[in-house]
Amino acid sequence: MSEHVPAGGPANGAYVFRLYLAAGAPNSVRALANLYAICHKHFPKCHRIEVIDVLKEPLRALAEAIFVTPTVVKISPAPEQQIIGDLSEEDKVLSALGLPQNDNV
Amino acid sequence: MSDRKREAALKKIASGIEGFDDITMGGLPEGRTTLLMGGPGCGKTVLALQILVNGATNLGTPGIFVAFEENASRVSANGETFGWNMRELEQKGLFFVDACIRPGVVRAGAFDLTALLAGLEAKTKALGAKTIVFDAIDVLLSLLGDSMLECRELYRIHEWLARHELTGIFTTKVEDNEPATAQRYGFMPFMADCAVLLSQRLADRVTVRTIRVLKYRGSPHALNEVPFVIGAAGVEVGSSNGVHPEPQPFTERISTGIERLDEMVGGGIYRGTNVLLTGSSGAGKSMLAGQFIEAACRRRERALFISFDENSRDIARDLATVGIDLAPHLASGSLRMEAIRSEAASSEEHFMRVKRLIAEHGPRCVAIDPLSALARVGGGLAARAVAERLIYVCRNAGITVLFTSLLEGLDPQLETTTLHVSTIADSWIQISYALLDGERNRALSIIKSRGSKHSTQLRELLFDDTGISLADPYTAGGEVLMGTLRMERETAVRAETRRPLLVAAEEEEQSK
Repeated sequence: MSEHVPAGGPANGAYVFRLYLAAGAPNSVRALANLYAICHKHFPKCHRIEVIDVLKEPLRALAEAIFVTPTVVKISPAPEQQIIGDLSEEDKVLSALGLPQNDNV
Repeated sequence: MSDRKREAALKKIASGIEGFDDITMGGLPEGRTTLLMGGPGCGKTVLALQILVNGATNLGTPGIFVAFEENASRVSANGETFGWNMRELEQKGLFFVDACIRPGVVRAGAFDLTALLAGLEAKTKALGAKTIVFDAIDVLLSLLGDSMLECRELYRIHEWLARHELTGIFTTKVEDNEPATAQRYGFMPFMADCAVLLSQRLADRVTVRTIRVLKYRGSPHALNEVPFVIGAAGVEVGSSNGVHPEPQPFTERISTGIERLDEMVGGGIYRGTNVLLTGSSGAGKSMLAGQFIEAACRRRERALFISFDENSRDIARDLATVGIDLAPHLASGSLRMEAIRSEAASSEEHFMRVKRLIAEHGPRCVAIDPLSALARVGGGLAARAVAERLIYVCRNAGITVLFTSLLEGLDPQLETTTLHVSTIADSWIQISYALLDGERNRALSIIKSRGSKHSTQLRELLFDDTGISLADPYTAGGEVLMGTLRMERETAVRAETRRPLLVAAEEEEQSK
């Protein structure tokens, strides 16, 4: 079961993320909150987050080679990028997404 | 409750690998965790996969193979090279999970292995899997990058396995003599219920693989390191417990091919026993071995001649010079000659090869020339164990085997063989050189012959183009005479005895 959370109108050039989490696990709850915060701050109105609960769709996670939770996959824009962890280290997330880090904004 | 727990602790699943079930005394602990440790290229992955394949094939227990380091499809393809029908198995109950960590993954904060375990749990239920292999668990742990996390996540897997009563097999790299790695994953052997160490080292430039059970909770196990090989059909462990000499009724006597030698050992050697033939270089050991094999062929028995470091054709040619013609037997297929290079492999690999040759050809008589070649690589201890097992394998199959051994050393009087196999030899024939008056003659004697009386005399061994023979013992003045000295003495004695004979004849005539 997947849950689409549209936050702002997905337009051309939108950021699409897929977040694999274990519902209820503290690091997963943190990851979701952190991802929301980053998206709102950096791509307001042009992002989409798809949330997949690995406890509900375990075979999908296995088939998609997702072994740790939380895992965020940036689907679009290409190339695909995988980030694991609760995203508490924001600088690392931003550099992985190819964005300038906080000090420079 | 505790009693029931103890009972459960003793339940084992057979690995189906020859020798491995011996050293673990029955196989891996069921519903527990086993750790296979070793350096790179030690055969951890092959062993783990083989246990899984055997479980699915022989015991009908489905299993899951999680590959953290090697590509899962490559692991499966490697399995095919050992003759395991991976494609069929993958449909019936062997599932591969490709868990190679992608290089581009960025770490940003805390995470755990919930996704993997949730996925495996669903797959386990769907398949009814009983065994799970985590291949290269160290690669997964290194992703965590923190020893506290490593420990925590490993315990999480361990607990998950225990909760679902799954048999877990972890493989992990351990560098020999490197305390840093050993310490880093030091908690692993403590956690596991059974820990097995695989290692490989070079002995005389040849790789020798060994395996040892470090611990086995709730079960006895072999304490010693035993050799193993990765052969054409996968891992084979050379456990010394694997081959036991079974008591055999030895009643039938067969010929060595040399009539007088048969007489010396009381009418031939017992079928199913072994004969050790020792002698220094050039003594004629191969000739006697060839004669033994030819005699077997003449009795219409299948025979196998294994020579180390000598071309089969050369041996056949040398044998032809003393009138032993093996060509018709080779042509008919009843005789097989096989030449093996001793330096090309460890003694354990030689053992596997010889065993396979015996299984393929099904001989009643085997000659191994020389068995001492086994000791050329990897040292005496391993070679000795191999020699013993080889002898026991033949004995249990009722095969009569003649093996030669080179006697080297400063003191030939000591008469010990490099492998010290003389103690397990049933008969021991020694060819030595008798140096007398500027001649070197071959002398054959029997040192031991179990279960029969044997001659204690030293006989001269003669080779000529009509064959191999033993001269009658000829003693004079308390010495055995051979060669020219014997001829001289014989002529002299004949001349001496002729005179009294002539006198006697004259007297007879006179009385008439």
